[in-house]
Amino acid sequence: MGKKAAFEHRETVFIVVLILVAAVFFSALKAKTDTIIREKAPGASIIYVPSGKFLRFAAFGYSNLAADLIYLWSIQYFSTPSIDDRFDHLDQIYSIIGELDPLYGDPFEVGALIAIYDARNPGLALKILDIGAEKNPANWILPFNAGHIAMMNMKDFELAEKYFAKCMQIPGSPEFVPRLRANALFRKGDVKTAWDTWLDIYNTAQDERTRKIASNHLYNIKQTLDIERLKEVLIKYRGKYGFWPKSLDLLAGTGLIGEIPKDLDGRDYVYDPETGEVKAPILPWKR
Amino acid sequence: MKIGAIAGITFKEAKRDRILYLLFFFGAASIVFSRVLAILTVGDRVKIIKDVGLASINIFGVLMAVLIGTSLVYKEIDKKTIFTLLAKPLHRAQFILGKFLGLVLILFVMTAAMSAIFLAVVYLHVFMIDWKLLVAITYIFIELVLITAVAVLFSTFSTPILSSIFSLAFYLIGHLSWSMELLIQKARSPLTRGFLRFLYLALPDLENFNFKTEAVHGLAIPSSIYAWSVLYGICYTAFLLGLAVLIFRRRDFV
Repeated sequence: MGKKAAFEHRETVFIVVLILVAAVFFSALKAKTDTIIREKAPGASIIYVPSGKFLRFAAFGYSNLAADLIYLWSIQYFSTPSIDDRFDHLDQIYSIIGELDPLYGDPFEVGALIAIYDARNPGLALKILDIGAEKNPANWILPFNAGHIAMMNMKDFELAEKYFAKCMQIPGSPEFVPRLRANALFRKGDVKTAWDTWLDIYNTAQDERTRKIASNHLYNIKQTLDIERLKEVLIKYRGKYGFWPKSLDLLAGTGLIGEIPKDLDGRDYVYDPETGEVKAPILPWKR
Repeated sequence: MKIGAIAGITFKEAKRDRILYLLFFFGAASIVFSRVLAILTVGDRVKIIKDVGLASINIFGVLMAVLIGTSLVYKEIDKKTIFTLLAKPLHRAQFILGKFLGLVLILFVMTAAMSAIFLAVVYLHVFMIDWKLLVAITYIFIELVLITAVAVLFSTFSTPILSSIFSLAFYLIGHLSWSMELLIQKARSPLTRGFLRFLYLALPDLENFNFKTEAVHGLAIPSSIYAWSVLYGICYTAFLLGLAVLIFRRRDFV
């Protein structure tokens, strides 16, 4: 009995030692294999992610849960810098989530942020937001974000104006979106529509702050147009007489311009006869 | 009375089943874990909690219904206790209905317990409970009742393993029947379309009890769907139980 117990004890010790030795051995082996750099197929890390349409079938009524899990995984995946090509299929991942849970707005917003700030690809961000907006026509945030990206990151004011116009149509969109659209209109060069839009905002403003903002923008548009016109006339004057006029009033009698324009507040524009430069008497935002 | 007695015994028997507590533990754990999972998200955290919670109640409820339901009748036959029972003035339909109701009762208790944990987790997060969550849970329970009837049906003529496979297949088909519509659109022959249309209508549509999306996104639920879904569930359950009784009556235990 004593011999058997001793044998069993020795066997137990042997098994424990064997497990420990094996653990050390396999750890060393794994560490060695990890050091070998293997060639990867482009997009290998997500090449086997199934399509959203397939996943809708495979989710068996749990498509919301599947969308959540893919979204959570995507946050971890896209914030792993060691995966070089992680942004290659960014829109695909978020379109899958859109297919599974079309009303889930967060992934499109976050996907666009990843595309802008990590992938530095505004076009991709717009693509993701467009997918989201198509699935969520009642969600104003998505076209709003798209307009913001088009305006601030891409400087494509025409595109920004379109997104803001779309956002304005959606119930619940903030009251300042028409102002963003008006600004985009002005910056894309459609001064006439911009003027009319700002004027409309000014006339329909519900509070003093909005009226003031609209007034400043109207001032800005008017001074831009006036200064542009004055510069044209000044160049013609210089071409005719060979020097800049001493004052703007001298332009009136030359037949080049009917009346010297004043700013929105009725003040004269500031003119430098040495350089021929014309500018507003005050910055629009400091009126 | 006899049905009640059988149901009571079934309830007590199922209550002692360890697998029930194992499934309940995992269900409760995944509901609680949803709060941890929500921390990982960017944006609406409560959506994750609601999605994971409702899915857990549904998945673990179905597993309970299938794994316990499929062995209920089989155990009686395997242990030969069925001879003692059927020797008494007990109709086979009463036996089947009693078994079914006993299991429904245990599922009700389990669903209520998991729902209480789920609603507590949601309440701790947003300090309010959306009544639509209760609607979603109620319809999950109606679905579980139907799945229980399926499990009981298969257990009247098959082994627990096969019955479990059949019941789970029924569950999966029930959540895929909507895809038959896509197949109908693709079919060219009118005969094929007609056959597929028949399959689409005849196969169970468990999506009728799926109000999870509406509950999570706060979407409006058409009032007429409440009654029609309940009617659909009751009719389908009654049909399956009727079928189970018919099959069980034909079985010879000698």
